[in-house]
Amino acid sequence: MKKIEATFIVNGNPYEIYVDSHALLIEVLRDELGCKLNGVHESCGSGDCGACTVLVDGEPILSCMTLAVSVRGKAITTIEGLAKGTELHPLQEAFVSNGAIQCGYCTPGMILSAKGLLDQNPNPSELEVKKALAGNLCRCTGYKKIIDAVLRVSKGGN
Amino acid sequence: MLYRKLYSFDYEEARDVPEAISLLQTHGTEAAVMAGGIGLIEEMKRRAVTPKVVVSLQPIDQLKFLDVSDGNLRIGALSKLSHGEQSNVVKEGFPALWEAIAQISSAQVRNMGTIVGNITACNPGSDVATALVALDASVKIADGNGGKCIPIKSFGVHSRKNILKPGEIVTEIIVPCLAPGAQTAFLNLARTKEDCAKVVVAVNARVTEGVIEDIKIALGAVAPTIVRATTVETMLLGEKPSEGLIQAASERASQENMVTPISDIRSTSQYRSQMVSVLTRRALTRVFQNHMN
Ligand SMILES: Cc1cc2nc3c(=O)[nH]c(=O)nc-3n(C[C@H](O)[C@H](O)[C@H](O)COP(=O)(O)OP(=O)(O)OC[C@H]3O[C@@H](n4cnc5c(N)ncnc54)[C@H](O)[C@@H]3O)c2cc1C
Ligand code: FES
Ligand code: FES
Repeated sequence: MKKIEATFIVNGNPYEIYVDSHALLIEVLRDELGCKLNGVHESCGSGDCGACTVLVDGEPILSCMTLAVSVRGKAITTIEGLAKGTELHPLQEAFVSNGAIQCGYCTPGMILSAKGLLDQNPNPSELEVKKALAGNLCRCTGYKKIIDAVLRVSKGGN
Repeated sequence: MLYRKLYSFDYEEARDVPEAISLLQTHGTEAAVMAGGIGLIEEMKRRAVTPKVVVSLQPIDQLKFLDVSDGNLRIGALSKLSHGEQSNVVKEGFPALWEAIAQISSAQVRNMGTIVGNITACNPGSDVATALVALDASVKIADGNGGKCIPIKSFGVHSRKNILKPGEIVTEIIVPCLAPGAQTAFLNLARTKEDCAKVVVAVNARVTEGVIEDIKIALGAVAPTIVRATTVETMLLGEKPSEGLIQAASERASQENMVTPISDIRSTSQYRSQMVSVLTRRALTRVFQNHMN
């Protein structure tokens, strides 16, 4: 097994570690960086559910389907990178106040997909929100409240 | 935590095409090429493939292009599905290809997967490959020995098996610009928007002075590779588009020798066959709508 020296830039902080060439990004974020970014969730592990979504250079990608070594040096954002201290990000606020969270398992992925969209397109239509979140499954909420929460932030001029 | 992990393998990055080929030649059948990686990692997680070395093309900047030159759209091996979706050149000049890409429902998959990787994976139900077969695309292959260019319809040899030999990679896909007046259509049918298609149909047609001068009908998810409905094409060539003709042609489509759908968790073969006719009828109606009175 080959270990590769790698720098990961996660939520603005550099982490220099040795990583297995076959390690997936989700494993590194949760277990290898020393800061336990457990907001990155695995559900299907096969690209279908979006629970493991993180942003790489601002784009939503699936950390369960990404070799960690392939994103060395790129800017990675996890849900832990959104709040400023105790002040939640507007999307987090909107999810809480809109009842868009039930069990919460899908929420980090949902919020990061929504952030990926709003950073590109601050005023999306409802259809654009639905399209951006289509790769994120939620077993609890029925999606309506999630879509409303994202639209609320976009209209609120995040 | 228990993850769906990968087994141990070595990882190499190629900085240019010759280096990729040399690495692949060195490791032979033990190596796999990685572009976006989403298809490869899915197969490695299932242990459907178990390469000992993964050779990543990701650092090769020369493969990051998507442009039109000399009457062809050229899609470099590192163009993501999302680049195709965001490209006005693709949207306006190659609408069937654009629809095939844009309807892939997950933004994450479009951000990660390449257009070329979708083709090399040789999934018989690929939306993108079906569109590209109707558009008569070619696949450019680098082999360290001058390379070659082959029609996309000969690229897939079986489900998940392409003609590449160890040490060869696809560097680009070349799609001829549509002839003036050509109309295209892309249609698929899936249980949910996210699921793999049960049947895919793409059509590329041109009517000149009232008669069908050119027609290509590609069918996906109904055979081990994407197939062309050649008997239907022959039946249509030189004819005047009409509702009766479209009806007869679409009924014939499900009778094509090459149409051999399987029954699986998504559909029975009988349903797939019936839907070949239904989708072909809709696609032909769309491409001929301005030529029927
Ligand atoms: C959840 C999910 C949903 C999907 N939905 C759809 C859908 O609705 N419609 C659809 O059409 N597709 C769909 N796909 C397929 C997806 O588009 C492809 O998996 C993706 O485009 C593959 O590209 P990649 O760059 O990730 O390829 P990789 O994973 O890097 O490679 C895929 C295969 O091609 C080989 N390869 C890659 N590049 C080259 C090259 N340049 N030369 C030679 N060999 C190469 C690899 O060795 C591997 O065998 C879906 C995939 C997933 C995971
Ligand atoms: S856990 Fe990654 S897509 Fe489901
Ligand atoms: S809130 Fe439970 S899965 Fe979405």
